[in-house]
Amino acid sequence: MSPIHGAHGMSAAVEGDSTVAPNDPILITGATGFIGSRVARRLLDRGFRHVRCFVRPSSDVAGFEAIAGRSRDGANIEVIEGNLLSRDDCMAATRNVSVIFHLAAARGEKSFSDAFMNSVVTTRNLLEASVQHGCLRRFVSISSFAVYTNTRKSRWRLLDESSPVEKHPELRGHAYTFAKVKQDEVVKEYSDRFRIPYVIIRPGYVYGSGNEAITNRVGIGTFGIFLHLGGPNTIPFTFVDNCAEAIVLAGLKKGVDGQVFNVVDDDLPSSREFLRLYKRNVRRFRSIYLPHALSYLLCGLWEKYSSWSEEQLPPVYNRRAWHAFWKRTRYSNEKAKTLLGWTPQVPTGEGLNIYFRSCREKARHA
Amino acid sequence: MLKVAIVGCGKIADAHASQIQRIKGCEIVGVCDRELLMAKQLYERFPVKSYHADLSELLNQARPDVVHITTPPQSHYEIAKFCLEHGAHVYVEKPVTLFALEARSLVALASEQGLKLTVGHDDQFTHVARRMRQIVQDGYLGGAPTHMESYYCYDLIQPGYARALFGDKQHWVRRLPGRLLQNIISHGIARIAEFVTSDAPRVMAYGFVSPLLKRAQEHDIIDELRVIIADEDRATAYFTFSSQMRPSLHQFRLYGPKNGLILDHDQESLIKIRGTRFKSYTEKFVPHLDLARQHLGNLKRNVNTFLARDFHMKSGMKFLIESFYRSITEGAPLPIPYREIQLTATIMDAIFEQLVPRRTAAANSLGEPDRLPQVRQSVLEGAVRQPCRV
Repeated sequence: MSPIHGAHGMSAAVEGDSTVAPNDPILITGATGFIGSRVARRLLDRGFRHVRCFVRPSSDVAGFEAIAGRSRDGANIEVIEGNLLSRDDCMAATRNVSVIFHLAAARGEKSFSDAFMNSVVTTRNLLEASVQHGCLRRFVSISSFAVYTNTRKSRWRLLDESSPVEKHPELRGHAYTFAKVKQDEVVKEYSDRFRIPYVIIRPGYVYGSGNEAITNRVGIGTFGIFLHLGGPNTIPFTFVDNCAEAIVLAGLKKGVDGQVFNVVDDDLPSSREFLRLYKRNVRRFRSIYLPHALSYLLCGLWEKYSSWSEEQLPPVYNRRAWHAFWKRTRYSNEKAKTLLGWTPQVPTGEGLNIYFRSCREKARHA
Repeated sequence: MLKVAIVGCGKIADAHASQIQRIKGCEIVGVCDRELLMAKQLYERFPVKSYHADLSELLNQARPDVVHITTPPQSHYEIAKFCLEHGAHVYVEKPVTLFALEARSLVALASEQGLKLTVGHDDQFTHVARRMRQIVQDGYLGGAPTHMESYYCYDLIQPGYARALFGDKQHWVRRLPGRLLQNIISHGIARIAEFVTSDAPRVMAYGFVSPLLKRAQEHDIIDELRVIIADEDRATAYFTFSSQMRPSLHQFRLYGPKNGLILDHDQESLIKIRGTRFKSYTEKFVPHLDLARQHLGNLKRNVNTFLARDFHMKSGMKFLIESFYRSITEGAPLPIPYREIQLTATIMDAIFEQLVPRRTAAANSLGEPDRLPQVRQSVLEGAVRQPCRV
């Protein structure tokens, strides 16, 4: 477990303008995950006494005992094992719940159907169960930056919450993007139909101890050598504890129903800076920089070939994906700062040091 | 225009939809899933005319000529029967049914109705598998096969499938009478069944839970299987399923009285093995040159097929679907003879009967087909309640 938590004074007692009282049950799905475990800790540190964690039967829940041990008196971590594809399990999980932090998702899933099932059908089941119980005050749905088209070039390439979302996510070639766009749609649909108060959180790339991968926004290693595609681009990093704090605030802050918040940290490094730091701090490897014009051309060629060959090569590289991942873009976290009162407490430099240390540890034990 | 429908909109349905849309003269008139959201997502991603949550509604409104059944195997029999009874030809994903008796019942029903049935043994129709079949027909083996070895391994480290299976104690694979094996080994068994002449070969199976799974507290999933199949006194076959051996082979070795063949599914290669030897020391040098030539030939063939845009990962499925559709529209022979479908199911039955005692009792009590629903229920309940022991 990362020792970061609490070191920056993030923890605070439940404030007066919270949507929930300290004894109200709060549900976290994906609670043993990379972000979910941090959300659970933060809620307990804020003085919430009834945190219900929904986990898969195969999840390691030993960590919860340690969390419970650190929490304030009278706190109760309730662990419910189940499957969000089961409506009965969702009914049991959402009973009497005031806030749901829905973090369970199909990360890394290549199959569109599986990603959809594990993101959209599960979300729908939770929402339907909540409608039945009729006591939900906030549904916090975790989305992603991947849902934005990022094709618009106005406003000096600024990407914020007003930027358009992919209308045809199936053409992006990424199951995760498709699933997240559809998940956002189902949340909004249930809000419209049943007046479920919701907040959507769209984090950039969440990094930290527990996720040691290099984001494909920097580059890809698929072809034997690392192709550096980001170059001068700013990488929309958010340190996992900062992201968890934003998610917690999204569930607690009054007056933000129906809002979407992008979560990125301040002082973001460029892809080139990140790669240089990574090589210096973790390991050295060869990389080749592909200028943007060339990577755009190659994505276009791959897209054409995929179409011409009836997807002999799957259309995972295409112009839509290039816009979303490798186009030079600026990011804003103003809305989260203004409406949620969020500030990234762990500075990027410190977050990167923790991440690099974790990468080295992982490499040592590989 | 042949009207096609897909029932079951999970992962494998994507592969079906992808391949069907590449075939001329057919259209997907409807997709169906008990979970309407799943049907809708497939409808949104492929050129599909309608989506449904109810099978009757699909059949009545979309009126498909052919139905592809891509649901979990527990429902294959009922859905296929329902479709056949409603006048649709049926392509069922593997394994065709849970029990051989059900497979026989479906074949009989299809014949009775004047309809066609096939099963998704698409690995049998890859470029290399078709080449092997042609070479065997040309007599390269020098007669009927005398011995076969079929390897069909599965790397459980693959994140998607393993995470879903191990993370969910109620996963549908766990509820199959033959568990993980029943969902995977059909391809490897079908390769053997193609060359077995007896309708009731002797089957000796030995299975166990690998140490890796035991360490992960998975005591119910048999992931190591060795089988000997004796085709009376004419031929034998070994079948190996392993989640642990490396390389994780998908190979078929076929030996005749004169020569042999080795098919590697992963590498799409076919190697001819000469039955005769060179004299003295030349045996130690010349065969290597011949093998090198053959490997280069495989490389050249694969590159050419790729450049010709005909090397899709699911090229075997496209060929099987196209052949099946031709059998419907032009009266061409079925791509997989009914005998082979039933024999594959029979061999799998025999394997699972030796691995799962409760299944044996139920299988022995199988009498008339009208008792099938009760027997199915009994075995399925048993599979849920009882751990699978060797």
